[in-house]
Amino acid sequence: MKLREYEAKNAIKAAGIPVPAGFLIRTADELITHLDELGDAFVLKAQVDVGGRGKAGGILMAGRTDGITVAKDLFGKQIKGLPVTEILAEQKLDIRHEYYLSITVDRSNKQPLILFTEAGGVEIEITAKEHPELIRKVVANPLMRDLPPFMIRELIGTAPKEIGPIINRLYRIFIDKDALLAEINPLVTTPNGVFAADAKIIVDDNALGRQGFTINRDLSEREREAGKHGFSYVELDGAIGVIGNGAGLTMATLDLIEFYGGKAANFLDVGGGAESERVMNAVRLVASVPAVKVIVVNLLGGITKCDEVAKGIIAAGISQKVIVRLAGTNEAEGRRLLSEKGYEMLDTMDLVVKKAVEVTS
Amino acid sequence: MIYGDKNTGVLVQGATGKQGEFHIGLMNAYAQQAGGKGVVAGVTPGKAGQQVHGVPVYNTVKDAMKHHDIGAAVIFVPAGAAADAIMEEANAGITTIVCITEHIPVQDSMKAIAYARIVGASVIGPNCPGLLSPGEVKMGIMPAGLFSRGNVGIISRSGTLTYEVVDELTRAGIGQSTVVGIGGDPVIGQTFVDVLSRFAKDPQTKAVVLIGEVGGNLEEEGALSTSLPIVSYIAGVSAPPDKRMGHTGAIVEGGEGDARSKIARLKKHGVPVASRVSEIPEMVRELFRCVC
Repeated sequence: MKLREYEAKNAIKAAGIPVPAGFLIRTADELITHLDELGDAFVLKAQVDVGGRGKAGGILMAGRTDGITVAKDLFGKQIKGLPVTEILAEQKLDIRHEYYLSITVDRSNKQPLILFTEAGGVEIEITAKEHPELIRKVVANPLMRDLPPFMIRELIGTAPKEIGPIINRLYRIFIDKDALLAEINPLVTTPNGVFAADAKIIVDDNALGRQGFTINRDLSEREREAGKHGFSYVELDGAIGVIGNGAGLTMATLDLIEFYGGKAANFLDVGGGAESERVMNAVRLVASVPAVKVIVVNLLGGITKCDEVAKGIIAAGISQKVIVRLAGTNEAEGRRLLSEKGYEMLDTMDLVVKKAVEVTS
Repeated sequence: MIYGDKNTGVLVQGATGKQGEFHIGLMNAYAQQAGGKGVVAGVTPGKAGQQVHGVPVYNTVKDAMKHHDIGAAVIFVPAGAAADAIMEEANAGITTIVCITEHIPVQDSMKAIAYARIVGASVIGPNCPGLLSPGEVKMGIMPAGLFSRGNVGIISRSGTLTYEVVDELTRAGIGQSTVVGIGGDPVIGQTFVDVLSRFAKDPQTKAVVLIGEVGGNLEEEGALSTSLPIVSYIAGVSAPPDKRMGHTGAIVEGGEGDARSKIARLKKHGVPVASRVSEIPEMVRELFRCVC
């Protein structure tokens, strides 16, 4: 889950990395008490859970005289469809140079990867493509609590030495906050020292509980509801509901829908060993999406028993058409139960998907 | 076979839990059929002296090692305790550690895998179904009924999708040497590269099916690292960016790790990529025609 900017900045500040003076406001009037500290020019940043908010009009410049008006204006906006309920009002920095610093999980090395470039101010993706030699990289051993000084020297090159401790502090944040990404972009030098002008932290969804979060804000309400049942669920924009067991098989079912020219409405993985009640809940959840015209159930029973699946489908009693492919443990009994009730069953995943695409087109 | 055979004694960590107990039963039923050792010991702290399907339970891995010849371990403990279980086994000298547990925080996995590497243990998973060498050994939760013995190795980031491929191959009369589920997390111990290097030394394995998905580039790294004939399948062509597709590791992030670019890179290196699972058996047959 991506932290909001002010949450990330608070974490960074608490770890001893300087951030610009800033205040979180929930109404435009709250700005009045902070005007003195913010000075003549400051920035108003909408705290919304979407990327690319700057280009969408979510970041505005303001000053002492027009600050309240600009804040009111921003509170009245929708940024990529999301209402603005919180704004971070932040002092404008006198920037001399911009750097880029990030720590991610390197899948190949199975270790934290730290990236730093002195050539900031340009989008990092562009630098990576056009001048990869300007990005310095080190891979850290996750068993070490601090980065050894040589790694920091390798990273900073000719950049100011004050950046060294900041890199190590960000590394500790990366570990302590269960981050998948901790990024300061840009990290800037000013006449008053080095500051983290913007910060981004993505917390591991599997660690939200121990990090004190009760919900995952990145998920839609239906996705959260699915999570309560222990399902993995993703909303898409087609008309075919998809239920499978196991993420890979369910994903392969979606791909097959695309292969045959259809579009999936969602992705629901019931997990292993699902009993009839779980299957019933899964079918009802998928059927509750208004766009769903037909539901494909593709289950390969190992630990999951086909007769339990059949009972669940029947118990769900939904109005949409359900097309079923069941294979594996207790397959014969599952098929018998479903055919008694007149459900359509086909032998392979190719056949069920083809049929569903035909029904919707 | 790789990682173990019928003579490998297996330890189960989390033996007295629901999952542990259920799968000790299935693993030992398989061992009996294959004439192998199977699960010889279980570990659950505080439950020493109990038995699960006749398998003795110990408090610690070291205690179990005193009484049994153990070559591999399978972990079923909850996510909060799994990294510790990996390190306990590695520290006790077990060299093959299969971690079935799902939802382990990545920071924990990174530490446990780094520790295992230092002491010379290989971790398969986490968040994986384990491995099965037909007729030899089953370490994990794969449904044994679908498998048949043969010369094709399978490496996969998925569980049920692997069973689907195994089922297709078996029905087509193509048997398997060893099937390894390496796990659906962003950080996993044994990657495609590691398993392929084992297959390269395994005389039984003549070709490999590599089943990948969106997220990262471990599939391409693997395919580039080996001279074994490979057929690949990549799930998630229709996966939207920045959405986790069930597996923690199955996510297209920052425009990287999407299925189409993976498939393009694999094809560029001469690896045939199936666009549907049902095409895999015929493509494997085609490989064998080329090899012969």
